[in-house]
Amino acid sequence: MCDTCGCPSAGDNTKGFTVDVNQSLLAANTRQAEENRRHFDATGTLAVNLISSPGSGKTTLLEQTIEHLGSELRIGVIEGDIETERDAARIRAKGVPAVQITTGGACHLDARLVHRGLHDLEKEGEGKPFDIVFIENVGNLVCPATFDLGEHERVILLSVPEGSDKPVKYPKSFISADSFLITKTDLIDYFDFSITEARREALRLNPELRIFELSVTTGTGLDAWLDYLRQRAGSLPACPAP
Amino acid sequence: MHEFSLAQGLCAQLHGLARQHRAKKITTVRVDIGRLAGIVVDSFTFGFEVLAAENPLTSEARLAVTLIDPLYRCDNCGATVRAETPPSACSQCASPSLVREGGDELILKQVEME
Repeated sequence: MCDTCGCPSAGDNTKGFTVDVNQSLLAANTRQAEENRRHFDATGTLAVNLISSPGSGKTTLLEQTIEHLGSELRIGVIEGDIETERDAARIRAKGVPAVQITTGGACHLDARLVHRGLHDLEKEGEGKPFDIVFIENVGNLVCPATFDLGEHERVILLSVPEGSDKPVKYPKSFISADSFLITKTDLIDYFDFSITEARREALRLNPELRIFELSVTTGTGLDAWLDYLRQRAGSLPACPAP
Repeated sequence: MHEFSLAQGLCAQLHGLARQHRAKKITTVRVDIGRLAGIVVDSFTFGFEVLAAENPLTSEARLAVTLIDPLYRCDNCGATVRAETPPSACSQCASPSLVREGGDELILKQVEME
């Protein structure tokens, strides 16, 4: 810093000086996420970010969702995994465009990866706009919660075998979510899972959380989720202002 | 382990700031982390130390982390309290309806450089 007037430009820098920054460490990711969101808005696409531990049923939920909504809504899927193309292959088998992002070890998707994935997805979808793009995050209940991807709707899944204490143990994921899906409810008789506890603790962290209970195996509760998606996708402006 | 990518982002931010202010060395980095930010402070500090050591600009930098408790505001009487874990009821009026504000911040507050 300049010794005479204190300006940060010229002069002798042997003395220390302090700069107030007050900027989020996530600023670069947030900028990219906002750009992604603008892009989704411009094409009238609802972007949904699915977050859960490995094995909570994200991909199976997507398969069933596509099965029921695929004929009325144009769906695309961005799959995040550490390795393999398997999930994207499962989704393509349902007849919708899907791209796989393999993070090569990273435990979460970030906005930049999704931006690239979205361009590939649009190519695979031959440039026609999507009504809904699902982003299936890397299976992990911790790290993905920190990174905005530009989604409109963040959905957290918790399956019955995982235990109803997870909202208390992994608060950040539940705080940042818009919807909370309790999955595999057909297994409720076999596990010590209290739906009351899961609901109460999740709502204590996030009073605005929308909660669904469902089993894709029996189909119980699936309709409420599908109706919610129909309504959410339909409520986006069809031709938003630039 | 997302702490490591956040530490990478921090280092990139520090290099930008040093260029902007024509600094040769960064001595102290002050960061505020909310208790609900989902960041393990030890992992973040470790990641920063590993990465900072790779470059002379940051090799002597000290990372000072301040943990921020979330603020809970009573929906009924408006009383506020900072607490590490959510209180079950308002200490003033006993209402159970408390709204959380913040606690998930992740902010580069201040940098000392030479």
